[in-house]
Amino acid sequence: MLTSKTKRKIRSNVIGYSFILPNLIGYTTFVFIPVIFSFVLSVMKWDGSQAPMEFVGLQNFVDIFSDSLFRGAFMHTVSYALMTVLPTLALSLLLAVLLNSKIKGIAFYRASFFFPYIASTVAVGAVWNMLFQPDFGPVNEFLKFIGIANPPRWVVSTDWAMVAVAVVTVWKYMGYYMIVYLAALQGISSSLYEAASIDGANGWQKLRYITVPMLTPTTFFVLIMLTIQCFKVFDLVYVMTGGGPGNATKTIVNYIYEKAFTSWEFGPASAGAIILFAVVLVITIIQFQGEKKWSKDM
Amino acid sequence: MRLKKLAALSMASVMAVSMTACGGGDKAADKAPAAEAGKETKAAEASKDGKQVLSVSTWDNDTSPQFQAIVDAYMEKNPNVEIKIIDTAADEYNNSLGISLSAAQPDPDIIWVKDMGSMLQMADKKQLLPIDDFIAKDSFDLSIYNGAAEQLKYNDTTYALPYRNDWYVLYYNKDLFDAAGVEYPDNDMTWQEYWDLAAKMTSGEGSAKVYGTHNHTWQALVTNWAVQDGEHTVVEKDYSFLKPWYEATLALQDGGYIQDYATLKTANIHYSSVFKNQQCAMMPMGTWFIATMMQSQTDGETDFNWGVATIPHPENTEAGYTVGALTPVAISAYTDQPDLSWDFLKFAASEEAAEILAEQGVFTGIQTEASLQKIASAENFPEGESNVEALKYTHYVFDRPLDPQIEAIRTPLNEVNEMILIGEYTVDEGIEELNKRVAEIKGW
Repeated sequence: MLTSKTKRKIRSNVIGYSFILPNLIGYTTFVFIPVIFSFVLSVMKWDGSQAPMEFVGLQNFVDIFSDSLFRGAFMHTVSYALMTVLPTLALSLLLAVLLNSKIKGIAFYRASFFFPYIASTVAVGAVWNMLFQPDFGPVNEFLKFIGIANPPRWVVSTDWAMVAVAVVTVWKYMGYYMIVYLAALQGISSSLYEAASIDGANGWQKLRYITVPMLTPTTFFVLIMLTIQCFKVFDLVYVMTGGGPGNATKTIVNYIYEKAFTSWEFGPASAGAIILFAVVLVITIIQFQGEKKWSKDM
Repeated sequence: MRLKKLAALSMASVMAVSMTACGGGDKAADKAPAAEAGKETKAAEASKDGKQVLSVSTWDNDTSPQFQAIVDAYMEKNPNVEIKIIDTAADEYNNSLGISLSAAQPDPDIIWVKDMGSMLQMADKKQLLPIDDFIAKDSFDLSIYNGAAEQLKYNDTTYALPYRNDWYVLYYNKDLFDAAGVEYPDNDMTWQEYWDLAAKMTSGEGSAKVYGTHNHTWQALVTNWAVQDGEHTVVEKDYSFLKPWYEATLALQDGGYIQDYATLKTANIHYSSVFKNQQCAMMPMGTWFIATMMQSQTDGETDFNWGVATIPHPENTEAGYTVGALTPVAISAYTDQPDLSWDFLKFAASEEAAEILAEQGVFTGIQTEASLQKIASAENFPEGESNVEALKYTHYVFDRPLDPQIEAIRTPLNEVNEMILIGEYTVDEGIEELNKRVAEIKGW
């Protein structure tokens, strides 16, 4: 016989579960099962047809590691992340600090910097492509004006295409992370700054010894989100360069997409996805460890 | 404690993985294609008013008359059949079709095949219904296609009938030629003569510049002419035969006789706008562009005089060698209406359908004098016998061979084409990379 207390507990559990159920069903169907399935596929040979899959063990991993295109895509992704993560972090922090003051029209400035984030990637990519047009685009016209005789050919140069994509990424996402930082800045107690002022700290010292340390958890969050986002990059590259010129801006996800939906080789494509997952996991673990150590030292 | 949890979690996921694996395998094995050719199946699908329902897959149906005209004509002839159109954007077509076929869905019954390469991919995956038995049963005459149906055979099996047929011709702007006082391109030009003409027709500066001709960014606009004589295809062990064609294209670009690749690519310029805005005097392009131009004249979007000439030919062939591609129409292996589907297929690839399409400026696998005359007499088709003559060809090669890996090989072809035309590779470097990457794909 159930006591009324247990009954109540069960009922409240059922109510709780029924609230999360709709989301859970969707999550299971569209995220969890496909993720598990891609683990399965990574050790299979399958062309997406009704033909039975064939177990090939780790052959898919061996194959894509020996594929120079995959190694290239991997390196392109890493260099994109290097060019994107720290500049975005620094700029969004800078913007947040600047826009955290009580100047006139602050809402307008905040909105302007946030705006690129909500603009469609396709439109952003197309417009920036025109700005970066090598022969008569505004960017190069400006560079020529300030005395650079041979400005980069941006998206039609293998050396500069990824830089162009990185610049657009920084521009597009710094507004979003600025908002994240702004929220965190509002949470820092003003008594800390007042105390520092009494002790005679200048603006730079306040930033260095109060703002930055107090923002550590936020910086950690931004760092992880940005890194993961960089490794997952697809849409902007697809719109701006299509992975070109040649394959100079082909990233891991572009590679996975081509393997899966052009060649219909789901095995190697899933193996690529698993490697991407592993890389992101390792980076996150390293950052978690770093953050623990970091916040202890503070 | 944490370690234990982790261990339990990984055990659970491994179990889940293995269970899914078994389940997946079994399901795939016993779901062999449902339909077999020639077998009577009970009409599985019927709409409420007792009509039989057939579904067809198309791309960009609202901007091109090529599918709707035939669907309407078939429904008119067969009032008891209702046709459901499953339309996808052209760029997404192969993906979205591939995914619904992977799920072995009974819809669509009829598949219009966008690239011949994807037909081979589908055939390899047993997603297309072989139609040889139907052809034999009805003693269907394939000779009306002048050999095109035989060319579509794959592993000695027929999976599709030719529907559309497109090949390359040379478009030119009569007004620009008149203004320059230069004679129109004729139907027997070598490529060298065409290049010289392009140089001659280039004039003006800045935004008023008129280019002698226009090459769109497709790799086909270089490689087609290299395979035109039928001696090579774009799947080869040695790509050095492409060298003179890349050199010629680079020369056109360096001379400013065509817009350079980098500009077209970065500004994402569509070839039709270049020709319609009278920015080029000539343009090699597929016959599909005829319908576009006729439509544009009808709508009043453009009002200049234009013409069509036979595509120029290499020194080692005569005029009349052209390069093209077919749009096949096939039946899904998972159809629940094989007989009705075959009936539709026969109609879609019939002479009757060819005439309906000809009225729209669309060419088909059936090339008759009547259908040519029909196009020639269509409103807004350029006047003059030479324009009709330009539509005739004596030799026809596919722009891409029927190779099961052609879709994968297109990637290096496109990438190397881009690298050469933006000057990141020399022609030799490009050819070397092609040799290497295609050999990797083919396992040579």
